[in-house]
Amino acid sequence: METGSSSEGSPEPKKGKSKTPRKPKAKDSVLKQKSPAEFFAENKNIAGFDNPGKCLYTTVRELVENSLDSAESISELPVVEVTIEEIGKSKFNSMIGLVDRERVDEALYDDHETAKARERRLAKEAKAQEIQAKNAALGKKVKETTASKGMKGRGEASFYRVTCKDNGRGMPHDDIPNMFGRVLSGTKYGLKQTRGKFGLGAKMALIWSKMSTGLPIEISSSMRDQDYMSFCRLDIDIHRNMPHIHVHEKRENKDQWCGAEIQIVIEGNWTTYRSKILHYMRQMAVITPYAQFLFKFISDAPEKNVTIKFARRTDVMPPVPLETKHHPSSVDLLLIKRLITETSKQNLLQFLQHEFVNIGKSYAERLIGEMGPDFSPKMSVKSLTSQQIVRINQLFRQAKFDDPSGDCLSPAGEYNLRLGIIKELHPDMVATYSGSAQVFEGHPFIVEAGVSVGGKDVKQGLNIFRFANRIPLLFEQGADVVTRTALKRINWNNYKINQTQDKIGVFVSIVSTKIPFKGTGKEYIGDDISEIATAVKSAVQQCCIQLKSKIVKKIQAREQQERKRNLSKYIPDATNAVYDVLKEMAQLHASKKKRYENEDAEILKKVSAKLITKETLRQKLAEHVEKVDYEMALEYATHGGASEEPKEAIYIQSLETEPKFIDLRSPIFVFRLFQ
Amino acid sequence: MADKGKRKRRRADADSDEETRLPFKNKLKPDSAILEILKDLTAATAAASSSSTKTLTLADIDLDAKCREVTELNLLSVQSEIESQILKIARSILAGNGFGFDVPSRSATNQLYVPELDRIVLKDKTTLRPYANISTVRKTTITTRIIQLVHQLCAKNIHVTKRDLFYTDVKLFQDQSQSDTVLDDVSCILGCTRSSLNVIAAEKGVVVGRLIFSDNGDMIDCTKMGMGGKAIPPNIDRVGDMQSDALFILLVEKDAAYMRLAEDRFYNRFPCIIITAKGQPDVATRLFLRKMKMELKLPVLALVDSDPYGLKILSVYGCGSKNMSYDSSNLTTPDIKWLGVRPSDLDKYKIPEQCRLPMTEQDIKTGKDLLEEDFVKKNPGWVEELSLMVKTKQKAEIQALSTFGFQYLSEVYLPLKLQQQDWL
Repeated sequence: METGSSSEGSPEPKKGKSKTPRKPKAKDSVLKQKSPAEFFAENKNIAGFDNPGKCLYTTVRELVENSLDSAESISELPVVEVTIEEIGKSKFNSMIGLVDRERVDEALYDDHETAKARERRLAKEAKAQEIQAKNAALGKKVKETTASKGMKGRGEASFYRVTCKDNGRGMPHDDIPNMFGRVLSGTKYGLKQTRGKFGLGAKMALIWSKMSTGLPIEISSSMRDQDYMSFCRLDIDIHRNMPHIHVHEKRENKDQWCGAEIQIVIEGNWTTYRSKILHYMRQMAVITPYAQFLFKFISDAPEKNVTIKFARRTDVMPPVPLETKHHPSSVDLLLIKRLITETSKQNLLQFLQHEFVNIGKSYAERLIGEMGPDFSPKMSVKSLTSQQIVRINQLFRQAKFDDPSGDCLSPAGEYNLRLGIIKELHPDMVATYSGSAQVFEGHPFIVEAGVSVGGKDVKQGLNIFRFANRIPLLFEQGADVVTRTALKRINWNNYKINQTQDKIGVFVSIVSTKIPFKGTGKEYIGDDISEIATAVKSAVQQCCIQLKSKIVKKIQAREQQERKRNLSKYIPDATNAVYDVLKEMAQLHASKKKRYENEDAEILKKVSAKLITKETLRQKLAEHVEKVDYEMALEYATHGGASEEPKEAIYIQSLETEPKFIDLRSPIFVFRLFQ
Repeated sequence: MADKGKRKRRRADADSDEETRLPFKNKLKPDSAILEILKDLTAATAAASSSSTKTLTLADIDLDAKCREVTELNLLSVQSEIESQILKIARSILAGNGFGFDVPSRSATNQLYVPELDRIVLKDKTTLRPYANISTVRKTTITTRIIQLVHQLCAKNIHVTKRDLFYTDVKLFQDQSQSDTVLDDVSCILGCTRSSLNVIAAEKGVVVGRLIFSDNGDMIDCTKMGMGGKAIPPNIDRVGDMQSDALFILLVEKDAAYMRLAEDRFYNRFPCIIITAKGQPDVATRLFLRKMKMELKLPVLALVDSDPYGLKILSVYGCGSKNMSYDSSNLTTPDIKWLGVRPSDLDKYKIPEQCRLPMTEQDIKTGKDLLEEDFVKKNPGWVEELSLMVKTKQKAEIQALSTFGFQYLSEVYLPLKLQQQDWL
């Protein structure tokens, strides 16, 4: 076994592959002598396996996403349990049957402390102790000195057992080895909205485990209507891109469990990626409120352990995304060639009509007429020459087609997004918006957005949550279209939101048959696609408009409460000023220095006679304020300001699940008729 | 250092030493010739102002929109005006109706540039400022308080500064900008100039040169005021008996350039009066300039930075500021000539690149906005200069001229400008 492979580190990618490995055929022809598994082992950063920490994160993420897909495919509300168990070095060694060896030649090791370094360290520690003693003598609160961290060299790897258990569809017994042990074989290659990238996830995790620990993966699975449970332990033969099966057997399924459980041991780094993994789980809970997640981290040190349960908040699941056909404006030469080899249609007319969306029969005829004299509707599609295919491709680029519809997409849904936000952030206010389907390069996309204000565990300022095809994006936030839009193109002041003071949550979920990711990591969507940028901006703005009216109402309500107090506050200042002038005038009047007429004279006389005093003015003005306040309160009440908004209904999980109901679905709500 | 290097290099060119140090100096005619030119200018200005002895007022022209203007009122009338306001308020309060002020709006939309008068005037839109409204209660209270304080000043016949006024009730006013704004509102409400309220701003402007006037009875000779000159008295009503043998008034934007000219006794070489407000002009300086222009009938030449703000300051002297447009008739000085530093001078006087600054986004925007203003449009020469500035995206301060020596401004630049009659 390759026990020592972990210290070798990962080989750096030899050259940047600009082409995405979406089309396995193309890859095969380029890398004749290299198996796909080898290619990905060398370029594992493409799939998000950059360093041990990121590998742990990506492994968790891939397993969770597979679980969700699996449960959704059989319309089961997902229940996913993720456990990460830390394995110490000696435990790991004993697992693989390696004897712990004492160091003999200390100076050989990288973390060896030279005499000079020790001297320095001791001096430093002594100084620290001295200071502490002084502080203690002065009665200051003594801070507990952080125990000097055990020196950790680079050879000191941490290992983790990652277990992910779901209640999904499970896997057919005989397919299991190929599903895990063969890179670029998968069920997600059709043109549809999928979470997975290119069917790589679990396999990459396996390759990484092979590179770092050499331990095999263990899979237990059971499908509905199977009276047994499949168990399989395997690893991958990287050079031949073939599964290497250790155990593959049927076991007894005692408690009628249905789903899959995958267990894998990999090198990782929990300390640095802890927050990322937790964020991921939380954001996943936001976008998938119909799933229940249980996340556990177990280690030898009990204080480091983490257990978080993300409860289910709704039982309405978005529909399963449908597989769709290509839009003529999104295809390229290779794709046309592939479609030709795969099609069951005989002639060109049928081919155009049935292998693409938005080409009707008459339109196909017009297209064929436009292609030139050497094309005819009845010609065999398999006999097209390369030149003719180029001509078709050119015409597809130039001709006008209707936009593809968004029917094949499965957005999270405004309702679910809203619930997710409320469930995980408990904001004071939330608004959501779902845009209509739009098109970029022949691929439909839908942008949904939510904006929240306030909430727990939310920092001040903008908190951006990005989702692509219903998975959270956590890395490379800065260049992303959502971040840029929220920071630069939304004038929050317009909506009475304070960009720096308020706790703002911005949630944008984009679903598409092809998300135009930037960079190899597929972690962000570029800001240069105007169609998407515009859609994101308008979706966020729609949310803000909804919020604005709520915020204005809130401000009004606050003003309502404080109006009387604020108005009364200035009464003394104003009346004193008026009275002072009156008094002065009264004196002038009395001393006959200045004459005043009629009414004026009367007022001044009353002032002299103390019939009008500061108090009188004060009282009168206070009465007026009272009156105005009452009128405004009345007006406010008649304008519906006083009526409370309806509260959100609470979701209570049903205890017994007897599905005796019919769902009537609409994009924004579901009617459920119980029988 | 730089000068020395230049001199060495130039010597090889067999150019005169003088010309090297102060370029264009050889173009200067003797001072007597320049004085002749200036005398002509002065005579022409005097003739022009005597021919149209009466300056136009709002009443003289037929305007579609009604306009509001304030007048200089004596203490007694201010006092009576305040008293009638207060009585109105008292009656309203006693009747249980609360109270409020009808405040003339000083927003940009209520301003109008009148080309015939060449100044901005205030239209007659007013806004109600009721006490019993959450958004105006504070301002209304401050207004009442300020009116009361002004009443006190009138009764006692004393002057205080804006700062004094603010400190009489810091708790209510909170910061000086609030009491200052309301003070302007009050002069609008009462229909009198701000100086009639007996509230003055701290001294800011200074004047030096061939001017003799009386300040509160004391005769001041501005040629004998030392280098700094005489501070312009904050209350113009104490100033009188202006006499001068100057040929023109030189309006300088900045203190630094003013200092240079004062120290070099520029006013003795070419008889003139030099005045500056050290940046944005205050009311006192504007009143003083107007008084000089009206009484002495001298041409006014302006020396400002070659940037949009220089021109803006020029416009405030000339046409008034939007904030105080209600009193523009007393505050503006007609017919100010833009002498320099103009954008075209940068190339004409070969000001080196390192002394020019690139304009910021904000500068360019201000420049473009200015091009839309009527008071710029009425003068084609100004439009041309400003367009050039916006086009080249370069600005320069008066101090850029110091690159040829600190005294270049007073020794060469200004005399040459005057000689060429290069003003707009």
